[in-house]
Amino acid sequence: MRRRPTAFAVAIFMLTGVAGSDHARSDIEGWREIAWPFPRDGWPAGRAFRCATELCGDEIELYVRPKIGFCNCDSGVADDDEVDRVADLDLMSERFVPVEPGKVIRIADMQGRLRSYDLQMADGSRHTAVGIAVSRRCDLLVAVAQGKGTASGVQRVALDFLALDAVTQWMTSALDGR
Amino acid sequence: MNDRAFLIACTSMVFAVCCSGAYAQQQVIGAPPEASNMRLVGANDLQARSAYQPTIQHQGDRWIAYIGHHGGTDDIPAPVNPQTGKADPNGTSIVDVTDPAQPKYLRHIPGLKGKYEAGGAQMVRVCDGKALPRGDRNAVYMLRTFGGEAHEIWNVADPANPILVTRIDGLKDTHKSWWECDTGIAFLVSGAPDWRTRRMTQVYDLSDPANPKKIRDFGLPGQEPGATGAVPTEVHGPISSGPQGNRVYFGYGTNKGGFMQIVDRDRLINGPKEPTEDNLRFPEISRMPMSAFNGAHTTFPMRQMPIAEFAHDKDGKTRDIVMIVDEAILNECNEPRQMVWFADVTVENRPMMISSYTVPEASGSFCERGGRFGSHSSNESMAPVFYKKMAFISFFNAGVRALDIRDPYHPREVGYFIPSITAATDKRCVTIEGGERCKVAIQTNNVETDERGYVYIVDRANTGLHILELTGAARAAAGLP
Repeated sequence: MRRRPTAFAVAIFMLTGVAGSDHARSDIEGWREIAWPFPRDGWPAGRAFRCATELCGDEIELYVRPKIGFCNCDSGVADDDEVDRVADLDLMSERFVPVEPGKVIRIADMQGRLRSYDLQMADGSRHTAVGIAVSRRCDLLVAVAQGKGTASGVQRVALDFLALDAVTQWMTSALDGR
Repeated sequence: MNDRAFLIACTSMVFAVCCSGAYAQQQVIGAPPEASNMRLVGANDLQARSAYQPTIQHQGDRWIAYIGHHGGTDDIPAPVNPQTGKADPNGTSIVDVTDPAQPKYLRHIPGLKGKYEAGGAQMVRVCDGKALPRGDRNAVYMLRTFGGEAHEIWNVADPANPILVTRIDGLKDTHKSWWECDTGIAFLVSGAPDWRTRRMTQVYDLSDPANPKKIRDFGLPGQEPGATGAVPTEVHGPISSGPQGNRVYFGYGTNKGGFMQIVDRDRLINGPKEPTEDNLRFPEISRMPMSAFNGAHTTFPMRQMPIAEFAHDKDGKTRDIVMIVDEAILNECNEPRQMVWFADVTVENRPMMISSYTVPEASGSFCERGGRFGSHSSNESMAPVFYKKMAFISFFNAGVRALDIRDPYHPREVGYFIPSITAATDKRCVTIEGGERCKVAIQTNNVETDERGYVYIVDRANTGLHILELTGAARAAAGLP
């Protein structure tokens, strides 16, 4: 049975910084923070996490970062095409195909959309990915999770993780530039 | 001096010593403009509306400025039009600048309701009916955006009494379009609802503006309807060299991941039109990726530029140059520097950046003044008075910058003008530790020139229109008397 991370683990998460890949590693039960695995692009690096226990059903990696000033200030994350564009799926592979229409979600008082994809990796393997984009005013918070499980499983694990108080507090701080 | 007064005096001195460096350059109302080799000729407050694109048209014996506006602000969503006494959503200002020292505000055409980028009528181009192949010879046509919803064409032959001619609507966004006045072909930056990107290009035949004929949709492969995978950066604006040059230079991106794309105009207009990946690739000659740190707001072509340094070389004496201008979008330097780049595209399938220009930040403590600092756009007039000699770059809180570009391998700033702020100048804010901190600074958004050599700059922060002329070394560099 899946369990939620403990308060102790959350506290450890809180001790880490908000900058990119050079801050201390932290463990949340089942989750371990890993180095940001992607080369530098237009946005500062975010934070990357891996869950490789039965808590997540299968090995799942999740990448999350703010994109300041990248959102339509008035319409927010308007449609699924916007998730395709902004949710960092292309960091893992340029070849991704949505498997279903996206849906509206809310994370840390930010509204946006979530969409699931079939991701073809460079080695030909296929993964499931979930792209998430939520906005606050003109800023975006994007996350992408990938694993080999079902889309609904990856979605559930990713949303549970992003809903943790410690994670939402970090996301809010990151959008505040702290 | 009593103890309390002494304490206040000491505190003031400490504050002055500690903080004067950081805020020495902050603009204050009443201070004179900052200038070098540029002089203010005239100004108009544009009804304190946030201004985007100016276009200057010679109509008969008059010179008319058409200025597009962003939507209103949180504080003033729809400023009052003093001519009518009514609150108008920001749209298009029409100003008679025949006498640049005494610009006369003629008319405001309301735009789409909405604040900032969500409303207004940001973009404007003008073609004389006599130039268009099938236009009414008595008409002057103004093409403008209507927020993100539509493109409109107005007859502005009587600029004080414009008449709506036609409308192309049903869009999810619009932006900086290009209209060839000699052919009527228009490259409209639009948002077709089924495309995967907010902005793409719709090519229209507007040779008869009353009867627009769509030619095709165009964008980068991956943006078309039904595509999957990564979506390339959205278009910002194209500039065409017309049927003679047979090229269209597209700028993609704003402040991130930009491209400059060179397109065969004839293939674009007459090639297969179905928006498939192959058909979108067909007209492309080359695509130059820029740094992930920069986008391409303006791609201004200057073909066949003689380069003095290369005059004695057996080959390559002249070069085809594209000036690429990034757009800064974040206040107080919260992004990589957005600036100006020059690309040598003489060998079209191997374009190469050859030089760059930015305002030295330390020359005005621009990161601390407030608002955006960095480039936004250049003049786009190809009138001989400045073409291939001088370029003017709007640089937000650093005003407008005059560049001597006769040697594009070594562009050189020869003048600048930073207007004074006024009571109408709007604040610009950043988030600091979860709270807002605001400052007031000029935000020179766009610049255009006319055939007489006047330079028109407009302010995004509601300060209005400033009409300038070159003086001193800058005037000499331009070859002006």
